[in-house]
Amino acid sequence: MQRILIVEDSATMRSLLASSLEELEIPVKIVEAESGFEALRFLPRDEFDLVVTDINMPDINGLELVSFIRNNEKYAKIPLVIVSTEGSERDRDKGLGLGADAYLVKPFDPEIFREVVADLLAGRREER
Amino acid sequence: MAAKSSSPKSKKSKKKQANDNREFVAEAEEILERMFEDLLDLQEQRHGADEVDPDLVNRIFRSAHSLKGLAGMFGLDGIGEVAHHLEDILDGLRLGRLSVDSPAIALLDDGVSLLAKLTTGLDRSDASSTENAQATQAFIAQIEQAIQAPSPRISDELDELQIDPSLLRALTEYEEHRLRENIRRGRHITLVDSIFEIANFEEGLSELSGAVREVGEVVSILPSPGDVPESQIRFSLLVATEIDSDQLRDRLDYPNTTVQSVQREADSKDRSEDEAGAEPKSANPEGGDTASDTGPEAPDIGSLRSISDTVRVDVRKLDELMNLVGELVIQRNAIAGLATRLSTGAHTARIGAELTKTDKMLDRKLKELQSSVLDVRMVPLRQIFEKLSRVVRRLSRDLTKEVELDFKGADTELDKCIVEQLVDPLVHIVRNALDHALEPQEEREAAGKPGKGVIRIEAFQRGNHVVIEVEDDGRGMNLEAIRAKALASGLIGEDETLSRGEILNLVFEPGLSTAEGVSSTSGRGVGMDIVRSNLAEMGGMVDLATVEGRGTTVTITLPITLAIIKALFVRVGPERFAIPLNSVLETMALPPDEIGHSEGREIMNLRGEPLLLRRLCEEFEIVGAGRDENQFVVVLGMGEQRLGLLVDRLEGQQDAVIKPIKGPVQKIKGISGATELGDGTAILVIDVSAIVGDAVRRREAA
Repeated sequence: MQRILIVEDSATMRSLLASSLEELEIPVKIVEAESGFEALRFLPRDEFDLVVTDINMPDINGLELVSFIRNNEKYAKIPLVIVSTEGSERDRDKGLGLGADAYLVKPFDPEIFREVVADLLAGRREER
Repeated sequence: MAAKSSSPKSKKSKKKQANDNREFVAEAEEILERMFEDLLDLQEQRHGADEVDPDLVNRIFRSAHSLKGLAGMFGLDGIGEVAHHLEDILDGLRLGRLSVDSPAIALLDDGVSLLAKLTTGLDRSDASSTENAQATQAFIAQIEQAIQAPSPRISDELDELQIDPSLLRALTEYEEHRLRENIRRGRHITLVDSIFEIANFEEGLSELSGAVREVGEVVSILPSPGDVPESQIRFSLLVATEIDSDQLRDRLDYPNTTVQSVQREADSKDRSEDEAGAEPKSANPEGGDTASDTGPEAPDIGSLRSISDTVRVDVRKLDELMNLVGELVIQRNAIAGLATRLSTGAHTARIGAELTKTDKMLDRKLKELQSSVLDVRMVPLRQIFEKLSRVVRRLSRDLTKEVELDFKGADTELDKCIVEQLVDPLVHIVRNALDHALEPQEEREAAGKPGKGVIRIEAFQRGNHVVIEVEDDGRGMNLEAIRAKALASGLIGEDETLSRGEILNLVFEPGLSTAEGVSSTSGRGVGMDIVRSNLAEMGGMVDLATVEGRGTTVTITLPITLAIIKALFVRVGPERFAIPLNSVLETMALPPDEIGHSEGREIMNLRGEPLLLRRLCEEFEIVGAGRDENQFVVVLGMGEQRLGLLVDRLEGQQDAVIKPIKGPVQKIKGISGATELGDGTAILVIDVSAIVGDAVRRREAA
């Protein structure tokens, strides 16, 4: 089973992301964090196969979370997808520069989102 | 690595519409109310201030931003466009491209009012929609006129900093701007590094940032990796203060904390002398920051009328509706099965593919129906809180103990049937707190506490769960007393070494918790085993934390709804079972040679940790289950406890409607109910808490 952590402060957006991922053709377990802080607490509890995060959130922002994950030996290899509202180009470049694997702009097409996630999960499986 | 990006406002996402608009409206209303309030604050601050609270502006920006994203997802282009333009204004304001006096700022109020009107209009007939569309266009034209082409300042203040570039890289554009702004104003930039326990870092972090905010601004909080043990986490706070780093260091007297200036000294001094005339004022030491701490839960201001009228419905009718939806879900599963079979047949593949498509649509609609029905069943916790306060008033009179009861989160919603079952355990916990935990007045005063005890009950949603905390400021629990009692009643052995958590957990053991000896000295423990088993029946968990002399916190975690769950289906010999997915941590194949033995029990090595194994076939005495083939292990988690359950095969996950079993077989240990598959077969649902609890108890007994 693939474990996916969704970090997003809007409850509606969170459930849209989650329900979109539940339609993946592989079994997934989805854990939802409503803030960056919560994500930091969830990360060590589970071995996640993928993290999906928003950028604009209270407490720590998505870029800080991406930076933390990429610079932490334990999590460095987890594929990361940023799903953020159309924002400044710079935040996007920063996200990818910090090592996010994909950057999707809201409103995202659920099918493309699923495709990106499925590719990343598959890539990780081959690596093992 | 391949970066993919896309921004399709595709037709597909528009399919949602009508049904889902309610979902949109609910969250949009919340966002708009918050914006109204924040704009009021902004207006007050604009009078006579050269700088408004950056946190406030950023919060309003985030609201507009979220609303835009949300509207985009629901294909509500008009709302999205207005929000987008408001966001432009706010972005200009927070990045310093627009001044507070810009005519654009005055348009913010109108914009939010327009958004409220558009949102309310979604639920009404289309009569007003042309009118709204015109208003929208007119307003957008107004904004565009008001924002003159912004020319961002080019500055290199950041070059003055001696700071790890990896920290700078993680700053958003806005945070960079705040950093520049602070340097310009001659404030001292300092890096505060602190290490916390992961389990409770939020408390420590908020204390630390609170202390910084008394003298300045926290520009960014970055979690940073580094050579800390796994149970800990390091944060770097980039802060801007009026006082210099040495003075700040004196103020921040916290353990594991280092304070270090990141500025080239000479530069910052010159600069502050240059601008001494401007008299840099401290960034809103009290006002702004406390507002951001309390967050969005300020009182209603009634700027938006609730758009839903209410109807009272007999709860049995809802149960019936729920049941019907459940039956539909089962029928849908049957169709899915048929579709798969058709797709694999040579002559029926095309029909099969079409049926699969239709089935997917049906599935989506069913999910929508399911969530609307579930939604109707949700009730706020307020009614329980009211009941609790009556219990407490009566008891406090009987015991002649004065107590202050403090509720938070009364609007948190849970499924009605959970709320009903929750009353007893909660009353139990609160009664314990009042009766045993809170000391008599004289004793409290002697210990330097206020004479009146406080019981605080707070409910909030976390992901798919609702958390309820009951906290008292009583005497706390005496771990030694619990241990002694457990020893006396034979629950633990003489030379068993137990961690703090394990000792606390003993309180939930039946043998211990009914004993009176503990309650009078430790303040807790009457009937806690019953509380735990009641909560476990609802799929809930309970945890304890205590500080002797300071008080105890009981934390209850509950799923939001019970009726429909996601379940993992497994096969053992000829039998199939369903396991609620929220208790499944992971699954994997397990070759027979990886099963080890320790003290007569089977174990496996899970990433270096031994994991106790149980065979599901032995649990229910199933014959014909394969012993030598490869098995699969389902790792179950219940609170802190883990157990690996061995099964023959995994058969995928599905939604399952759990129904209670009635009749002579209703009380089978390890089974919590039954669910029906598409083909009409009944499948038993595993009671994870019973199986895990039983296995752990047996291990301890051995």
